[in-house]
Amino acid sequence: MKLLVVEDEPRLLASLARALGEEGYAVDTASDGEEGLFKAQTYDYDVVVLDVMLPKLEGWGVLQRLRDTKRTPVLMLTARDAPSDRVQGLDLGADDYLIKPFDLSELLARVRALIRRAAGQAQSRLSIGEIVIDLKARRVTRGGAEVTLTAREYSIFEYLALHRGEVVTRGDLYEHLFDENEDTLSNLLEVHVSGIRKKLGHDLIATRRGLGYCIESA
Amino acid sequence: MSLFANASLRGRLLVWIGVLLAAVLMGFGVTAYQLNRRDQLERLDQELFRKVAALARDVRGPGMIPGGAFSTPSGRDPREPMKQPPRIPGEEGSQPNRPPPGFQNGDRPLREMPGMGFRQPPGPRKVTLSVENAAVFSEAERAGVYYMLWSREGGIMAASSHIPVALERPPPPENNAGILAMTHDVYREAYYFTERGDCILVGAPLAPLLANMRRFALWLAVAGATVLVIGVGGAGWLISRAVKPVEQIAEAATRISQGNLSERIDAGGMARELAGLAGVLNTSFGRLEAAFTEQKRFTADASHELRTPLAVMIMEAQTTLARERPAADYRVALEGCLDSAQQMRRLTDSLLQFARFDAGQEGIVRAPLDLAVVAQRCLEHLRPLAQSRGIEVTTDLASAPLKGDEIRLAQVVTNLVQNALHYNVERGRIWVRTQIENGQAVLTVADTGQGIAAEDLPHVFERFFRADRARSRAEGRSGLGLAIAQTIVQAHGGTLSVTSELGVGSTFVLRLPVGAG
Repeated sequence: MKLLVVEDEPRLLASLARALGEEGYAVDTASDGEEGLFKAQTYDYDVVVLDVMLPKLEGWGVLQRLRDTKRTPVLMLTARDAPSDRVQGLDLGADDYLIKPFDLSELLARVRALIRRAAGQAQSRLSIGEIVIDLKARRVTRGGAEVTLTAREYSIFEYLALHRGEVVTRGDLYEHLFDENEDTLSNLLEVHVSGIRKKLGHDLIATRRGLGYCIESA
Repeated sequence: MSLFANASLRGRLLVWIGVLLAAVLMGFGVTAYQLNRRDQLERLDQELFRKVAALARDVRGPGMIPGGAFSTPSGRDPREPMKQPPRIPGEEGSQPNRPPPGFQNGDRPLREMPGMGFRQPPGPRKVTLSVENAAVFSEAERAGVYYMLWSREGGIMAASSHIPVALERPPPPENNAGILAMTHDVYREAYYFTERGDCILVGAPLAPLLANMRRFALWLAVAGATVLVIGVGGAGWLISRAVKPVEQIAEAATRISQGNLSERIDAGGMARELAGLAGVLNTSFGRLEAAFTEQKRFTADASHELRTPLAVMIMEAQTTLARERPAADYRVALEGCLDSAQQMRRLTDSLLQFARFDAGQEGIVRAPLDLAVVAQRCLEHLRPLAQSRGIEVTTDLASAPLKGDEIRLAQVVTNLVQNALHYNVERGRIWVRTQIENGQAVLTVADTGQGIAAEDLPHVFERFFRADRARSRAEGRSGLGLAIAQTIVQAHGGTLSVTSELGVGSTFVLRLPVGAG
């Protein structure tokens, strides 16, 4: 999953990016409203974490304009907790709202929830045959026994599982799993996918030649 | 009286108007009554006098009236009103009518006149009325008029057919006073003593007059009461109309002050005085609203400024603690936390300073100091910062002694110089000058920095205002420095002003009064 964090306080931005990165997300950053809007419109993020008070373009403005073109889930951060602010945020199209200072664990949980919701997933567990993904714990079990996946492998698998039944192109995967700071080598995906197949079974992920990958629906 | 003190305006006005109106009506009524009574009585007296005069002619005989009708030695016309106001029965004492010594009734003497012996005096002279008089009097007798003529000795010379039971000859006056009138019981009588000593008396009952007066009094009372009621009613209505806008204003003001401060009292159509009052109230509400809005904004900004370093601290700490890390990471995290804490402390100090200033609790020490010395010290302190940015500092510090608070002014100077250094370009320049000018101590700080846009210029001294947010946020600045500086300067009675040009630089000028400002 790839996230965008837009926050003008540099230390907070760095801290957020680090925490989310350590959770396994690919994280892009922006430190003002204009940059944030540009990136959010140009790329497909799974969640945008957006601060309200931003230079150049306020968070509300970014949200409004983003909503003209995209339905990316947006989690707003603010240091103001007036109810009117919350109402305004939700009315303008924010999906969730967090008031600073917040606990890291709460932020992570809300991001996960937004991702699940966007994928139409209500619970935090997904089952594919005898394989169960615990989205919260980021663990995969097969027949009850835990299977160890690398962070990258887990990310790819999670993404495919959440988009079960759809064909996920390479481009999608690159967009959603690699942040701008990484060099992408096209065969890297193949390596990870074959790693997953080795651990979870060859039939799990189907290759659609020329299109991408897919986990078939039940 | 305290009950009265809080009585409503309406009530008070109404009571006073009612009392006033009632008093006026009463005065008017009483005067009208008195005048009418006097008038009526006079007319009655005139009537009686005429009759007396008519009878006098009969007594003297035609042609024997000396010197014209009714001239008296005193020259007073007996038709003029009496010296005393005529008295009506029931009022305080008409002269009790005592028969002159020797008389018990007017009919005949009962006692022997001295020197005459005890024998019947010659019969009284008789007078016959002339034809006209007889006619007049027989007519008048129907209205109750009566007359009697006594001779000098007291014998009855003539009388009407009906006379009151207690009719007696009045006492002769001391001097010739002409026709006199008196009230006798329920009758009004006019009498006249001729030169010969004959007495002519004509009387009439007062009953009709009294009845008239009663009717008149009743009429006055009814009319007065009606006028009073109408007057008070009308006044009440007018007062209501006048007082209603006051109540409206009060109600609107209460509503506004308890609820929506952006509402205003509608003074349309109100009298000038009340519109003025409404105007004053509206202005006050405007100021209150502005103050509240400013307050809210300040609070929101302040809380945001405090929460940001808190968020950083918590985020960094929680992230660092989320898993095992090398020792160096912990060190970095702790240093970051310390940094945030310091930032919050600075901010809290600033906020508290504002709070004290706002509450009027921050006192300004007034001791002699030299602005040049203060500037020198601040520049020394900030030299490392200047050097790190390669900024050239030029000074011209002429002695500028004044009375003020050294610590606070140092805060101001530090803030100005810091701004000049921060918002400057690499290898830029700043100038700092102190001098005495026009009786003021002046400090000037100019820089070759990025400048301030014209639309931002009026706002630079506002709390939490930052023209270039991204950059200043990066350096941990809160946007309160200039606001605090201005508060301190104003507390000294001085001014702080700025001129600037985008891309060129800014110049801040601080002016302070030299004496105890």
